[in-house]
Amino acid sequence: MENILEIKNLCKKYDNFELKNVSFTLPKGMIMGFIGENGAGKTTTIKAILDIIKSYSGEIKIFGLDNRKDDEKIKEDIGVVLDDMFFPEILTPNDINNTMQGIYKNWDTKMFNDYLKEFSLLPNKQIKTFSKGMRKKLEIATAISHHPKLLILDEPTSGLDPVARAEVIQIFQNFIEKDDCSIILSSHITADLEHIADYITFINNGEIVLSKITNELLDKYGIVKCTEKEFKDINKKDYVKYKKSKYEYEVLIPNKKEFKTKYNISIIDKITLDDLMVLMIKGEE
Amino acid sequence: MIGFIKKDLAMIKSNFKLLAVLIVVYAIMGLMDKMDISFILPFMCVMIMISSFSYENYNKWDAYSISLPNGRKNSVKSKYITTILMTLIVSIITIILSFIISYVNTQTINYEKILVTMFGTIFGTLLVLTIMYPIIYKFGVEKARIGIFLLVFGIVIIGSLLANFVNLSSILKSLAFLEDYLIIILIIVAIIMVYGSYKISEKIFNKKEF
Repeated sequence: MENILEIKNLCKKYDNFELKNVSFTLPKGMIMGFIGENGAGKTTTIKAILDIIKSYSGEIKIFGLDNRKDDEKIKEDIGVVLDDMFFPEILTPNDINNTMQGIYKNWDTKMFNDYLKEFSLLPNKQIKTFSKGMRKKLEIATAISHHPKLLILDEPTSGLDPVARAEVIQIFQNFIEKDDCSIILSSHITADLEHIADYITFINNGEIVLSKITNELLDKYGIVKCTEKEFKDINKKDYVKYKKSKYEYEVLIPNKKEFKTKYNISIIDKITLDDLMVLMIKGEE
Repeated sequence: MIGFIKKDLAMIKSNFKLLAVLIVVYAIMGLMDKMDISFILPFMCVMIMISSFSYENYNKWDAYSISLPNGRKNSVKSKYITTILMTLIVSIITIILSFIISYVNTQTINYEKILVTMFGTIFGTLLVLTIMYPIIYKFGVEKARIGIFLLVFGIVIIGSLLANFVNLSSILKSLAFLEDYLIIILIIVAIIMVYGSYKISEKIFNKKEF
């Protein structure tokens, strides 16, 4: 399968944080949920993909091209929603439309205006008069109105109430149905991703912990709830992490089916991405 | 590139009214033979453009612009082009108005005086741009404001020290032969300094981490 995005051994060092050999790929037409707690390295990785940060090492290929050498060509086909970065708020949607007409060869004014109507955004109102949800919708309309082949979305639902979050996710789903587009969507609100992401890539403390197909991950992984005695009988090879609470042990296992054949423990819960994140970050090995 | 210039113009469109009012005030004061404020108009263009950096900074436009095609290159270039464009347009309007005012007041047009004054003003405006923009790109608009204050203060101190120790009038006399070429010299120096400033700003922006 053709890869839209390939990252190999991406490293970037700050005084108090480091991206360590980040590697993953995004196949064409897929949606990748990029998860991790705040400060785990999601935004830094996205900034490196877009060449917003400098002096990093490693290889980033988008559409098979080097992200630094073929910058202009690549960015014609990328749409972005970045956390807290956008047009100055004294501008209006009309100004954005005029600007983008002169920036993207494929800018689609009709499509942009249709989105403005659909999202009830007044074209002549300054951005600063919009609510947070409205601004996010404007950012999304701006990101998708040049028919990008890759959408890079950094925390597009952060700070939104549940209704606005559901609306934003719906917009992406509708867009994917219409356009053949790949998406990398970073979020720490993992519930948003379970239904739309084909792949999940989990980053923790600057390192990729796992990158797997979502269904495989949610079907295979599980949480065993057991007593201390039962836990002590489990071989270390058969679990990833565990968390001890007052009355029971919560054990993250990578293969429910295999586990059932080996152990006589009946309570194996389905895992959510939230559970996975919490156990991976807070659990013990 | 055109898109970035359109964005810069959209950013300052709310100040066009202010510029229009200033032009009218200049015309009225000139016709009443009160005071020549023509030098303020081109300077206003640079000051308005500098104020646009604050809005961009607040919404992290610089980082966002890099995600757009050719963003790193065009973001800086468009700022210089828009500022120069604005300065030249306002200067041309001011020059035409000055011709009219001069004719109405004296029935003659003092071309030389008006042109020398305006070229001097444009040069001064471009000098501000030359110094300010790299400082803004390096340190941000807030720190740059303090920087420009220190810079002007430094120039005044150095200037007054030079005036005490160097015989300026003899230097000016020895340079008198250049007077005939003043406007051409100003244009050449302005082009060199603005281009140099642009290259420095571009370098700073290219190395910047967001």
